[in-house]
Amino acid sequence: MRGFYIVGGYPDREQFKKCLNAVAAEGFEFIEVGIPFSEPVADGPVIASAIHEAVMNGVDIEAIMADVREMKQKYPAIKATVMTYANIIHGYGEKRFSDDFGDILSGVIIPDLPTRMHYWMIEKGLSIPIIPFVTPVSRDEDIEAVKDTKAPFVYYISIMGVTGSDKKGAVNNRSETAKKLTGKPVVTGFGIRTKEDADRAIAATGGFVIGTEVVKRQKDFDSFCKYIAQFR
Amino acid sequence: MDKKMFFGEYGGQFVPETLIPALDELEYWYNKLKNDDKFKSELDTLLRSYAGRPTPVYKAENLSKECGCEIYLKREDLMHTGAHKVNNTLGQALVTKYMGKNRVIAETGAGQHGVATATAAALFGMECTVFMGEVDARRQEPNVKRMQLLGAEVVRVQDGQRTLKDATNAALREWVASVENTHYIIGSIVGPYPFPEMVAYFQSVIGIEANTQCKELGFDPDCVVACVGGGSNAIGIFQGFLDNPKVEIFGVEAGGVSDKDGEHARTIGMGKPGILHGAFSYLVQTPQFQVADVHSISAGLDYPGIGPAHSALNDSGRVTYGYVRDDEALNAFRMLTRKEGIIPALESSHALAYVIENKDRFKGRKVLVNLSGRGDKDMAAIMERGLV
Repeated sequence: MRGFYIVGGYPDREQFKKCLNAVAAEGFEFIEVGIPFSEPVADGPVIASAIHEAVMNGVDIEAIMADVREMKQKYPAIKATVMTYANIIHGYGEKRFSDDFGDILSGVIIPDLPTRMHYWMIEKGLSIPIIPFVTPVSRDEDIEAVKDTKAPFVYYISIMGVTGSDKKGAVNNRSETAKKLTGKPVVTGFGIRTKEDADRAIAATGGFVIGTEVVKRQKDFDSFCKYIAQFR
Repeated sequence: MDKKMFFGEYGGQFVPETLIPALDELEYWYNKLKNDDKFKSELDTLLRSYAGRPTPVYKAENLSKECGCEIYLKREDLMHTGAHKVNNTLGQALVTKYMGKNRVIAETGAGQHGVATATAAALFGMECTVFMGEVDARRQEPNVKRMQLLGAEVVRVQDGQRTLKDATNAALREWVASVENTHYIIGSIVGPYPFPEMVAYFQSVIGIEANTQCKELGFDPDCVVACVGGGSNAIGIFQGFLDNPKVEIFGVEAGGVSDKDGEHARTIGMGKPGILHGAFSYLVQTPQFQVADVHSISAGLDYPGIGPAHSALNDSGRVTYGYVRDDEALNAFRMLTRKEGIIPALESSHALAYVIENKDRFKGRKVLVNLSGRGDKDMAAIMERGLV
């Protein structure tokens, strides 16, 4: 599974829509749309500064999701996911979020909602699958806890750190264990930059997601398209 | 599901998955050590011989006359490093030592927690990095220098509003990247479980002591008052009196300049429950669920969140949460200085101001105020306002 993360509504609505549709038009399997939150604690400087800019300009959840809906109508095959922090979904309302957007989303990715807290949002009515994380320090019992996930894939954070970190990915078997236990594709994120990184992730566990490198290019549509094209 | 993580409905562990093993490890050690006689006696010795416990309860006669009630001050301002913060940093540094980690990080607003962490790190021979918002670093420059003098690296955070919230974000990011050899000494009863419980435990010494001291003086206070930012000094003193239903308890938030957006830090007064820095608790937020800008003259209270224990105490009605404005805090600062010869921190001045501004409510009653810190660090802000 090949996927890209882009910041919703950034740098403006039109440019966001173009980038969103470009990813879908290239035939990639999934897209992660970020709904900006003022406290992006899991994000490194590039994504955090894009998010801050978006927050300063005003975040319109309905508008972002309307654009995702329009894209999905045109490209029904792509899996759309939302990446946002817990306060956004809780504030909007877990049930309302599911009622409004459950039909177009394959999953939600919530970086400040670890597996053991999933129940908290599910009890409040979140019915969209929550995509679980596995990390280099996940223990066997942590991975065991996600084996019955309804999510279409498991997200492997390959480094200890925030998005876009230049640390080397951890060399251990956590992602393989996750793949074996869940039987789902494991998408590797955080620190994937080049075609080689991506190929390695595909070979190892079946998928990758790139964030920082595309967000960097979200303001320059030509360079954005050129960058993603190499992963076709 | 996991009730132990919550105070009523507030609390939890809203953090990146990467931190979960470290939080479990911390929970294990905290539960083990709080019942360990050797640990307890080590900490007790440090608090007494190094940090200056017990701190006295002082009857402020001159101020009492002025206000028409009996005001007693719990003198946490006399603690080593100038505030109650060191109760917690010594405790957590000792936990860090037992966990076998050799590096600590911390966030700081007013700089008091940063200094207290740098102090404990120096004492224990640990590496220390403190994150401080650029705005706070500028308004509390002497504390930046003190931390550096103590051997800590101070990172001036340039994100967001460049205050305590942003410093906490930066510390959390750093912790995710270095969790295997680093402990994050959170400075208040905020953050993911077990931090709110552990910090409250280390600060409970304030209330336990104050309760005994009042009894020795022959009374139970009618009221206990403390300022609340994240809420660690408040929960510290409250814990000595929560069980006594005759004691009325007040938490005082920073009212800033006005109730307009961005001009106050009234988390309980103006916020609604949300998720920040690992916990579900009251939060000042915009209608679009973004964390809102806040303001207080006091860097230590300039925070949009609050410890989950306070949210629960508010909802249950056990504690009344009020506020005072910047100017009222400054007035209290001046009064205590002139009437008693004690220069309080601007944070603690909020607690005093609440008593001064609500004289009728406290008339004739015995009021115990937690004087959580001293005001040396606030000289720049005081001079800016032309008080000297």
